Amino acid sequence: MNVFRFMVQNHQQVLELTAEHLRLVGFSTLFAMLIGIPLGIVIAHRPRFNQPVLAGANIIQTIPSLALFGFLLPLPWLGERSDRLAILALTLYALLPIIRNTYTGIKGVDASVVEAGRGMGLTESQLLFQVELPLAVSVILSGVRVAIVISVGLATIAAAIGAGGLGEFIFRGLAMVDNRVILAGAIPAALLALLADFGVGWLEKRLQPR
Amino acid sequence: MNRSVILVLLVVASLLASCSPSHSDRIVVGSKNFTESFLLAEIFAQLIEANTHLKVERRFYLAGTYICQQAILAGRIDLYPEYTGTALTAILKENAGSDKQAVYHKVKREYERRFQLTLGPAMGFNDTFAMEIRGDDARRLNLATLSQAAAFIPHWRAGFGYEFMERPDGYRGLAATYGLHFEEPPRVMDLGLLARALKDHQIDLAAGNATDGLIPALGLVVLADDRHYFPPYEAVPVIREQSLQQHPEIADVLGRLADKISDVEMQRLNYAVDGEHLDVKDVAREFLKRKQLVP
Amino acid sequence: MESPVSLANVPTEGSIPVIEFRDVSYRVAGTVVLSGFNLQVQRGETLVLLGRSGSGKTTSLKLVNRLVAPTAGKILVKGVPNSEDDLIRLRRGIGYVIQEVGLFPHFTIERNIGLVPKIEGWAPGKIRARVEELLKLIGLPQEIAVRYPHQLSGGQRQRVGVARALAADPEILLMDEPFGALDPLTRDELQREFLLLQQRLHKTVLFVTHDLREAMRLGSRIALMEAGRLMTVLSPGEFLRSTDPMASAYVRAFGEGLESAANRETS
Repeated sequence: MNVFRFMVQNHQQVLELTAEHLRLVGFSTLFAMLIGIPLGIVIAHRPRFNQPVLAGANIIQTIPSLALFGFLLPLPWLGERSDRLAILALTLYALLPIIRNTYTGIKGVDASVVEAGRGMGLTESQLLFQVELPLAVSVILSGVRVAIVISVGLATIAAAIGAGGLGEFIFRGLAMVDNRVILAGAIPAALLALLADFGVGWLEKRLQPR
Repeated sequence: MNRSVILVLLVVASLLASCSPSHSDRIVVGSKNFTESFLLAEIFAQLIEANTHLKVERRFYLAGTYICQQAILAGRIDLYPEYTGTALTAILKENAGSDKQAVYHKVKREYERRFQLTLGPAMGFNDTFAMEIRGDDARRLNLATLSQAAAFIPHWRAGFGYEFMERPDGYRGLAATYGLHFEEPPRVMDLGLLARALKDHQIDLAAGNATDGLIPALGLVVLADDRHYFPPYEAVPVIREQSLQQHPEIADVLGRLADKISDVEMQRLNYAVDGEHLDVKDVAREFLKRKQLVP
Repeated sequence: MESPVSLANVPTEGSIPVIEFRDVSYRVAGTVVLSGFNLQVQRGETLVLLGRSGSGKTTSLKLVNRLVAPTAGKILVKGVPNSEDDLIRLRRGIGYVIQEVGLFPHFTIERNIGLVPKIEGWAPGKIRARVEELLKLIGLPQEIAVRYPHQLSGGQRQRVGVARALAADPEILLMDEPFGALDPLTRDELQREFLLLQQRLHKTVLFVTHDLREAMRLGSRIALMEAGRLMTVLSPGEFLRSTDPMASAYVRAFGEGLESAANRETS
């Protein structure tokens, strides 16, 4: 097929753009986890903040991605480089699934297990790290999985503001009116999403509590 | 369970680390998404390929000035063709000047200071706004400059692109500088249709680009901007200082293009691609051979 | 109404009660769960809190290891108010067994039992030896040490729950209807084993149940609770013969066979 021959001929660029894409998705997912998981734990333990936090993350999700990129442009330091900006925007979009699943995961831990643990004299941090998190990890991971799949898709739009990645093939192909170039971006992006979905899904199953 | 989590995180971290762009063994040339831009970029690419041992990768059709700027800042491309006027107003966000040398030096200085980018020498043409009229009218009315044409302007119909109409350094400033007034308001048209509309007498004056290939093809005349209203848009190579440090031979190679392309030459090259539908690679190769820039 | 004085409530000479409730009250969301609660638990005894749901018995238990804090009054553990004590130290010195057991599903039986010793910093060898000892004590084969809770039956799980509570050799055991979710046969087995265990270990036990038969069998004294108040504290024998309206209502409700239960017969 034409597009595969094109990809083989330009394999260096395909790999380079894929690496750029992974960088965007990787950093943003990592940051979203570093912010979202602790936030999810906090609202699971203090239901008072539950509403505002989840509502906030929800609102961010409803902003169209290109619009969000535009809003963030005037920011100092972050707005100067579109890849930083893209990582920020992607992080924001990844927050909701991660916060929500962390919340659900922690709340879903059997209350009698937590009670027994507390009654035995486990400190709150021991309870969190040795009991609640290990039991919630499968649910949290499924939130991470959703976040990654969303990010892979959104990162293609980031090319529109010059952040690079596989979306650049798509936009260039559109300008050149060349399907091969479009697909050289679209196919690897789709494969990335499928791979992430499958890979993290496998990890989820392995870590499921008995 | 803790062990596998750590393993996964290590894999992720190493993946991320390996994803930073670095291509010290080759040069990546970018271009915007119009003919002139990728003609110039292709010329850069072939020039470097023929005269150095470097491999060149092409990343053309980037959707605009902002995208190219971001790409070169991030190190995804090393080199791309830009215009001094565009760099000054769109990227440095400064007011346009009219002196070619001053603009060039200002852009070069600021780029080096702020972005660790530098400019190669100007290639010899000025792709600024061109106020075009039919060749017949120019000869009949003996018009060479905009000031001379100002007397006839009121009765003429004008066709402008959307950007020229809206930009403050477009129509508004021009009309103010030359005291122009059209009885019939100028029509906003698609850039691609301007030249033909002019030829077919649907309009009498068009605002196009100075290096448009259709100018010589259709025998159009560009009225000289004798009051120096339009800022200079000299084409220059923009290159990363880091890339120059790693491959100093590029400086020599790009230096050979200095002043090698006149306005007319660029018009002809554009027409070869847009009008005669020749392949960009072939047109670039032929140009380089003709100018004896490649062995 | 003041709790009637009974011989059973007078402390033995020279010893402070291991657990003492002084004028304890507990309200939550406008409901009075416990009021004017006064009770002493002596060393080595099994004091049963008997009452129906809503009587405040589970709350009383949780007040001891401070899973719940009183709105008035204080609870003293080994003579020290438990509000002053380091909470974690307090809880690690008290074994806690609940009806749902609450074993950690992602830990092996060995890790479950050995958790408190581990966080107390015992050497791994010492922990393993202790787990072995406890499995023997509760009558389970050594090989289940590497199994997971979901692979065990309900009865086996609760035995592990008791072993876990005993792991760090606490003086006090709090047990909240521990055998309530088990079938009658298993319940009978575990009650018998509890008695044997108590004979050997002489722990101070506060035991919550709504089952008079169980109370008769296991308790050295029975504290009858109703609507957040302590009605009376009686030995099993006294309870059977009591003229207290609540006590006699219970006796009637449970019908035959209470005598033998009171006599700790194991047939």
